[in-house]
Amino acid sequence: MRRVLVLLAVAVFIASLVPIALAQEEDDSVVLRIGDTQNWSSLNPTAGFLFADYEVWNMHYGTLTNKAADDFEVIPGLAESWEASDDGLTYTYTLREGLTWSDGEPLTSDDVVWNITTANEQAWANHYATTINLTAVAIDERTVEITSSVPDPKLPAMDFYLLPKHIWEPIATDDVAVTEYDGLDGVGSGPFVLSEYRDQQSATLVANPSFYGWEGEDPPIDEVILQYFANPDAMVAALLQGELDVINNVPIASVASLEDDPDIQFIVGEQGSFGEIALNGGLAEGQPHPALLDLTVRQAISHGVDRQAIVDDLWLGLVEPQDAINAAADVSKWTPEIPEENRLRYDVNRANQLLDEGGYLDTDDDGIREMPDGTNPIVLRHGVNTDGDLAQPIAELFQGWMAEIGIGVEFSSQDADQLFETIVAGDYDTFFWGWGMFVDPDYMLVNLTESELGNYNDANWTDPRYEELYLQQKVETDEATRIEMVHEMLNIFHDSAIYIVTSPEPELQAYRTDTFEGWVRQPADIGPVIMTQTGASYPLLQPIGAEAEGGDDVNWVLIGGIAAVVVIGGVLIATRRRGTADERE
Amino acid sequence: MTSVALQRRKATALRVWTQFRLSRQGMVGLGILAVFVLMAVAAPLLADVRELNPVYARSQGNPLWGPPGEFPPLGTDYLRRSVWAQFVWGSRVSLFVGLAATVLTILIGSVIGIVSGFVGGRLDAGLMRITEWFLVIPFLPLAIVLAAVLGRSVWNIIFVIGVTSWPSTARLLRAQVLTVKQRLFVDRARSLGAGGWHIVSRHILPNVSGLILANATLAVPISILTETTLSFLGLGDPGAASWGKTLEEAFSNGAMIINAWWYFVPAGLGILAVVLAFTLIGRTLEEIANPRLSGER
Amino acid sequence: MSGRGRFLTRKVAGSVLTLAFVLVFNFFLFRVVPTDPVASMFRGRGVPQEALDNLRTAFGLDQPILTQFVYFVRETVQGNLGISYQTRQPVWEEIVSRIPATAALVGISAILSALIGTFGGIVAAWRRNTWKDHSITSGTMLFYSMPDFWLGMILLVVFAVVLGWFPVGGIVTAGTNATGLPLLLDQLRHMFLPALTLTLAYLGEYALITRSSLLEVMGEDYLTVARAKGLLDRVVRRRHAVPNALLPVVTLIAINFGFVLSGAIAVESVFSWPGLGKATAEAIRGPDLPMLQGLFLVFSAAVIFFNLVADIAYGYLDPRVEDR
Repeated sequence: MRRVLVLLAVAVFIASLVPIALAQEEDDSVVLRIGDTQNWSSLNPTAGFLFADYEVWNMHYGTLTNKAADDFEVIPGLAESWEASDDGLTYTYTLREGLTWSDGEPLTSDDVVWNITTANEQAWANHYATTINLTAVAIDERTVEITSSVPDPKLPAMDFYLLPKHIWEPIATDDVAVTEYDGLDGVGSGPFVLSEYRDQQSATLVANPSFYGWEGEDPPIDEVILQYFANPDAMVAALLQGELDVINNVPIASVASLEDDPDIQFIVGEQGSFGEIALNGGLAEGQPHPALLDLTVRQAISHGVDRQAIVDDLWLGLVEPQDAINAAADVSKWTPEIPEENRLRYDVNRANQLLDEGGYLDTDDDGIREMPDGTNPIVLRHGVNTDGDLAQPIAELFQGWMAEIGIGVEFSSQDADQLFETIVAGDYDTFFWGWGMFVDPDYMLVNLTESELGNYNDANWTDPRYEELYLQQKVETDEATRIEMVHEMLNIFHDSAIYIVTSPEPELQAYRTDTFEGWVRQPADIGPVIMTQTGASYPLLQPIGAEAEGGDDVNWVLIGGIAAVVVIGGVLIATRRRGTADERE
Repeated sequence: MTSVALQRRKATALRVWTQFRLSRQGMVGLGILAVFVLMAVAAPLLADVRELNPVYARSQGNPLWGPPGEFPPLGTDYLRRSVWAQFVWGSRVSLFVGLAATVLTILIGSVIGIVSGFVGGRLDAGLMRITEWFLVIPFLPLAIVLAAVLGRSVWNIIFVIGVTSWPSTARLLRAQVLTVKQRLFVDRARSLGAGGWHIVSRHILPNVSGLILANATLAVPISILTETTLSFLGLGDPGAASWGKTLEEAFSNGAMIINAWWYFVPAGLGILAVVLAFTLIGRTLEEIANPRLSGER
Repeated sequence: MSGRGRFLTRKVAGSVLTLAFVLVFNFFLFRVVPTDPVASMFRGRGVPQEALDNLRTAFGLDQPILTQFVYFVRETVQGNLGISYQTRQPVWEEIVSRIPATAALVGISAILSALIGTFGGIVAAWRRNTWKDHSITSGTMLFYSMPDFWLGMILLVVFAVVLGWFPVGGIVTAGTNATGLPLLLDQLRHMFLPALTLTLAYLGEYALITRSSLLEVMGEDYLTVARAKGLLDRVVRRRHAVPNALLPVVTLIAINFGFVLSGAIAVESVFSWPGLGKATAEAIRGPDLPMLQGLFLVFSAAVIFFNLVADIAYGYLDPRVEDR
């Protein structure tokens, strides 16, 4: 009986070791493997809103015009050229010759017209902001005339995702029906099209031979697999072991081990994303603690936040603190330097001074200040976003900082959706979140206007001068003038001390240098290589030779060693038994 | 309580203690427990509570993820805070929640078990039905669902553990009460006209108190491990950092991938030691109450 | 109906009743939470008020509570457990897709821990008070006293991070196209550490229970008789003591199948094992209430089912049991 058990144990043991030896790749096709820690919200461009969604669309859908990788200048996309009218309100685009969708259907100006018209009718989330003032007319199969009703600084950029009319028209019956479609038809005009999608696991794209960018050649890459990782450490390990080619959202703790590896390049990709501690501006139904309505209190809070600590400890010094928010991906152009005298940087004494002068004293000596009339201790309800990595550490730090200036902080943990609702309702005082940028500043600037209250205006704030400037910049076609307007707007917002910008939040990425080459940073030198504005790397990547899988040597040693021990042990136990007398009743 | 009863109680206690002192496993358990209780009580003397504040930690120039060699005795974490301070102060929360939850568990379980066994009849059947329902339900998912709905606070966790762990205590006590009920002197007391409460307090309670104690001691490990698991899953009180919360922070902030063992090993060892201590003490008490368990004939 | 048949019916009926209580519990739990379930489903998506009202009517949320309960039971029985807040997919599909991973991990761990633990308990009891007994008892008690996920963390760091012998998490190598046997082997390789963790964590219970029940049985008369007949120790153990002592152990194994299912929640988290446990851990973060409710229902159903199996098995194995 015992012998049987021992043999069973040995068998199980050996069986479990075999997979170590035999786990290998079997494929000959060229596969680009991408790892990220963000799941998809929806692969339907009229409904999704996460970075991971845009990455798929950037590969799957072509756009009329594209943006240069180095400086976001407008360059040809599906359209090879365009001409402006005299008043600058009408552009005539000429599509490239012989364009087809990935399923063989011809791609014509009909598609363009249908997209613009329907996007306006049904307010498609990711198109509307671009198409709202546009009307389109098809001149012929390859020519389309697009007219804007107002001057639009974004023109001639036409970079909304072009959806295939022959697939989407039957689906887009009304504005709700179109958002309910799962978007998994796999028909697109970009370099790679979606072939398989498994929620919370992976999205697989295959090369689209009819993509104009291949220029008639065979696509160098057969497949792109985007892999979702719930555990960032597993993702880093996968990159180190050669199971992935590039990863996004590298956890700070892993940076050192990535930098140590000679075959891996770690980069800090800045494209304008930033984080902020946001205060409740008071324009929602739920009101903040009354102290927050006082500008000096908000300034004091800002003075109480140690941005350098965030940058040093949570970002390992990879970024520099900044005062103003960003409005667009090209930070050097659109983000102003806040004048020294207006800055609200870490200064605990100044913070305490402001609060003392404002009459917010700690009358009962419990460490928490009260309102000037002695009531209502200043305790902030701080929303902690459980879907964010930094929310928890920043919450702890924030509590510590506020304690130094006599303000209490209470946490309320909520996931992103719940927190969004809380913000819309106004039932909070502060929270930590962030924004990702687009190329044109309008998309960010609108979030702080009255029209977005109850939706994306999570500052719950407006300002008349800001509103005025917003409408002006929206139609200002002279870039220099527009930049000045935007700078003034961002200064106004900074001085209101509603947002405390904690730091820029670049994409921390790492890619293997021994599997693919041709990685492009967007914008040049400082930007990320994936999760970029336009997915510039994908059409340009080339595989490097054959790829070898590492780690087998170690495994053979392991197997040999354990097998030897098990065999020897089994033999010992077995021989001991044989010595004893037989058992018969 | 009459002096006779008091004398009897004292004698029993003395007898138990003498036997306990002879048991090596019991004394080891007691020793370990004493160390940690002392640590929890003397926390302010062992570690400055300010070290738990990341702002203070930074102002002291603490290193980031500093190993114990660089920052004795247990290094620092991702917010520069002293791991030793977290260990010492975390023991308070872990022990407090473990004990308080057990008290609640025993309270609920004892009341239900004793009442059920003593009163009998339909009340007994009904209570036992409820008890069995709770026993069958996997208690960790139940605890999770309750905690998720109630919110993250120390008292909620205590409540959740108490409310999900009482069934085994109830069943045990009910069985014991039934046994005691069958003994003659209860009937005799009844025939003498003694009331229910009198019987319970004079006859039943003394006979089950030993069992309650042993059961309680063995229930503490469950409470502590449950609190640890709930905290690890993010349901703990964010303001009261227990050892379980330390493990959660270690896991979430990459301690494992950079092998910052000093951050997650001590907390786990602490839990292991305390749970082991209570288990040893509990088993010893059980063996004293029921000598056959130790394998002696 | 025969005695056995009556026994069976009563047991099954009892299980169904217990499951019914779980449903009632789930229903009222949902109503305890003050948020509006329909609004919660569409958080952050700006759905017009009219659409929300239509959905409320469709879900019957404007009906009296009893009607709602009937609706709830009807939907649950049909397998409609609601829509997950986080993924916006049907809870039932989310749960079903994750069952195989957990079943595989927990199944193997439960079997291994039962085998090894029981074996250890037998040795410990038979060699009572020797070094073998002490080492087995102490060793298993040690593993039993530590948080199972902490053991997992340590194993992960030692064997996956430092030594690199095993993957750091997940169920398959990232982006793999493997199928058939290579896929299975890859999965086994990923399963090794979490399975080891669960096995070590749970074998203590089997060892200790086997040991004490065997010790109890060893004190009984018929064993003395067997010994008196001059039989060898080993035979006595194998033919007489062990089978009787195994009775409670058998039921324990069956019951544990159900409990280990939910006990693996934290361990699956540590190893990113994509099963029910990890789904629970992720649902907690929301909290994704429909998902948590669905998982709770499934976990309870599993335990109830396995308890039923254990009860029936016990009834068949032990002829002394007539009715419970």
